[in-house]
Amino acid sequence: MEKLSEIAAYLKGKGARFADAREHLFHEREIMTEDNRVEQITEQDISGTGIKVLYNNGWGYACTSAGDMDSLRGAADKALALAKYADRSAEVPVELAAEPRHTAKFATKIKEDPFAVKAGDAVGALLEAAGVMLKGKDIIKAVSSLVLRNMRKKYANTEGSAIETDIFTILPEIEATARANDEVKTRHYLPAPMNAGYEYFRGIDFKANAARIAEQAREHCFARSCESGPATLVLDPEHLSLTMHESVGHPTELDRVLGYEESCAGRSFATMDKLNNFRYGSELVNLVADNTLEGGLASIGYDDEGVECRKWHIVKAGILTGYGVNRELAHKMKMSRANGTTRATKYSDVPITRMPNLYLAPGKKPLSKEQLIADTENGIYIEGRGSFSIDQMRLNMQFGGDAFWEIKNGKLTGMLKNVVYNAISYQFWRGCDAIADESEFCRAGFITCGKGDPMQAAQMTHGASPARFRNIMVRRAK
Amino acid sequence: MNKTELIIEKALKNPVTDHVVISYSKSETHHIRFSNNSVNRENLFKLEEEVKAEVGWDGRTGSCRTNDLSEEGIKRAVDKACETARLLPSDPEYMPPVTEAEAAALKDFKPVFSEPSDDRKYGILKDAFGELKKAGLNSAGSLSSNPYTVRVYNNRGARAVHHNCVSAFMLTAMTGNSSFKDFHMSKDLSDYDGKTFLADIVARTRLSENPAPCEPGKYTVVLGPAAVEELLLMFLWYNLDAKAIDEGRSALSKRAGARIAGENVHIYSKPDHGRVGLYPFCPEDAMPYPAFDMIRDGKLASPWYSRFYAGKKGVTATGRVPANVIFKGTDKPLEKLISGVENGLYINSFWYIRLVDMMDGIFTGMTRDGVFRIKDGKLAQSVNNFRFNQSVFEMLDSITEIGREKEMVFTSIPPITVRDFNFVSKTEF
Repeated sequence: MEKLSEIAAYLKGKGARFADAREHLFHEREIMTEDNRVEQITEQDISGTGIKVLYNNGWGYACTSAGDMDSLRGAADKALALAKYADRSAEVPVELAAEPRHTAKFATKIKEDPFAVKAGDAVGALLEAAGVMLKGKDIIKAVSSLVLRNMRKKYANTEGSAIETDIFTILPEIEATARANDEVKTRHYLPAPMNAGYEYFRGIDFKANAARIAEQAREHCFARSCESGPATLVLDPEHLSLTMHESVGHPTELDRVLGYEESCAGRSFATMDKLNNFRYGSELVNLVADNTLEGGLASIGYDDEGVECRKWHIVKAGILTGYGVNRELAHKMKMSRANGTTRATKYSDVPITRMPNLYLAPGKKPLSKEQLIADTENGIYIEGRGSFSIDQMRLNMQFGGDAFWEIKNGKLTGMLKNVVYNAISYQFWRGCDAIADESEFCRAGFITCGKGDPMQAAQMTHGASPARFRNIMVRRAK
Repeated sequence: MNKTELIIEKALKNPVTDHVVISYSKSETHHIRFSNNSVNRENLFKLEEEVKAEVGWDGRTGSCRTNDLSEEGIKRAVDKACETARLLPSDPEYMPPVTEAEAAALKDFKPVFSEPSDDRKYGILKDAFGELKKAGLNSAGSLSSNPYTVRVYNNRGARAVHHNCVSAFMLTAMTGNSSFKDFHMSKDLSDYDGKTFLADIVARTRLSENPAPCEPGKYTVVLGPAAVEELLLMFLWYNLDAKAIDEGRSALSKRAGARIAGENVHIYSKPDHGRVGLYPFCPEDAMPYPAFDMIRDGKLASPWYSRFYAGKKGVTATGRVPANVIFKGTDKPLEKLISGVENGLYINSFWYIRLVDMMDGIFTGMTRDGVFRIKDGKLAQSVNNFRFNQSVFEMLDSITEIGREKEMVFTSIPPITVRDFNFVSKTEF
């Protein structure tokens, strides 16, 4: 930590308005299996230090994998030189929101260090699940994967903050592919990815779910095609994780809103003039950002610009009420502090505004998933994630799913296939007329959310209870 | 030989098993990102050096990546890979390392480049910001240069090295209600002609202003090279794996010997192209990439074969992904294609393409950064963006014109004219 603080001070001495240094160790084990074989098992051990400098109104960033002071100073000098180039084209003054000086440590609560367990343990569990899937009728492919990740960081800045974090992440998944009736269909089981220890992986029931998805993959091959036209949809939490990610999480990143991401990720329809007055969803819809959520993939204690992680509403009672905001843009919102959602994937990446943990708050009235379906005369129940696409302003979206069932007179009457739905994002959320209660709440999440240029993959948790949406345009995929 | 190479050679002199492959990569990325006509986003320099050790043990393989390039660090990576391999069950698809004789078939294209200076790079941006401001336009994008080296070594004597550079200027220019994107990619930007590039993008962006409402439906479209590349690569990626085809998991599984494209479509890979492609060999194992046809005379010529699967089928391995993808073009400029359309649309690029139906090769996506109505052979009014749901088989079989190739990092792709492209909905801008 002393070296990092020294580098920040070194840059201050060279005229930097602000500087920070982040030592970032990234350790990952990825296991992928295909049928009865291990397709790939890789370990990554990548570490280094990234240095960010603000000179007048220009930012520069450089990094080094070496830890000695000469290398750190060399990277600091390079970052400063780049910041001076950037300053020449600066159009607006940079105003950084204040953040208290933090001397702190944060770590994921774990019981068992995943990297202390031999890879063979997880391989055994995954291959056992594959064996179950392959026993399913008409199953032609069984695939599984597991990502174990540990990110250790030290952070120091010119304001005197000194922060250490130690984050563990686990992401398992299995999938079965069936071929029958001239169709090929794949079904997934995606236990919620978590910031957790290996004990979480040990608690997952792969075998029962392997048998279930193998059976459902085959059943999907014999499903009948859906009808096209406006329909009522009941969506499960895993499916909703993707819709909220694309249609709420991304459009409410303030850097996008203000045009900074125009060239890659795009912009947003949820512009600042709509704050606190735009109806994003029905009155039932509350979308909460929470980087303090225990076990959440974006729950890292302090973000990569030294800001303490926080909780806030993105949408409250259907109205747009907040954004993901970094220190540079907080003043645009007249916010005194950023909300702690700026992150970088590796040491060589510049920290940027990333989506927080984001969830759809459960309904307040008692309502189970079964009751929700029973209360739906005709519709389609969708589980899991399928095809997904949305325009760069986050308006026109089209989603598929992993499995679909017809709802007739309040009952699931059989699987459907070829279902995709197409909507304008805020109209979709305005169509929400029921959300199951807290007892049905489930988490899901991602570790591959792409943003930035060069592209970075970030992780965040989502969550929801099953919810119903009216008058959504369903199309046949073919 | 630098220090890292010496350490690697030392590790291979007394390999821990009869299967040790060590690949070493070094890249220097200078990436300048901008928006609102100023450098105000990622503005970074990163020097990254990594080693990946792959160790085989009795018919199974483990690997480990590290950027600790000390002797101890590399030894640790080799030991970790070995330990991992030993824990695994036997792999029926295990492949021993490439032999020295196999690697000798490598034909490196030895690119020539001169890395652009910082003054040159920031100067290009200064000129662009000036021109766009003068035209009353906003901008966002990036300018980058990335010289890199990849070396692959193994204990069977194979040695492969490739040194290259990729540079790119990506520019989105905007009016208050529209945008147009263009790019220039080359080894070192020495061939960048700012005057022509900026004049063209200013003209197209002005034409894009005030998009008129336009209903979805089936249109004759001229797809720009970026649009063709985005959709074609997605299709190839999902469908050309030979094993997946044989196992019935590809859209090509039920199209063996069938017509899958018009006879005017020729898609192939040429590793020694010189200007297109990242490596002449697989950066994992040093297997030289071969030249081969993918789609020719309306049919699948060859799918993509891994080393294992090629061995099983008795054919040449192409790599799980080939060296590059080239869609054979003609000498017709884009304007010629546009002039041949009486009533249709010009699509500059696509965005967020995703698979909708695997077995019929149907994809969805949005148009982005330039959609124009074509009237009587000319770009007329800009129109709103659309969503498409389109079978790529039908698209490849409905190409009426093919234009001049545009070279990108991994591809060389022409604009094409397509009948009955299927737009299913529109958006609000």
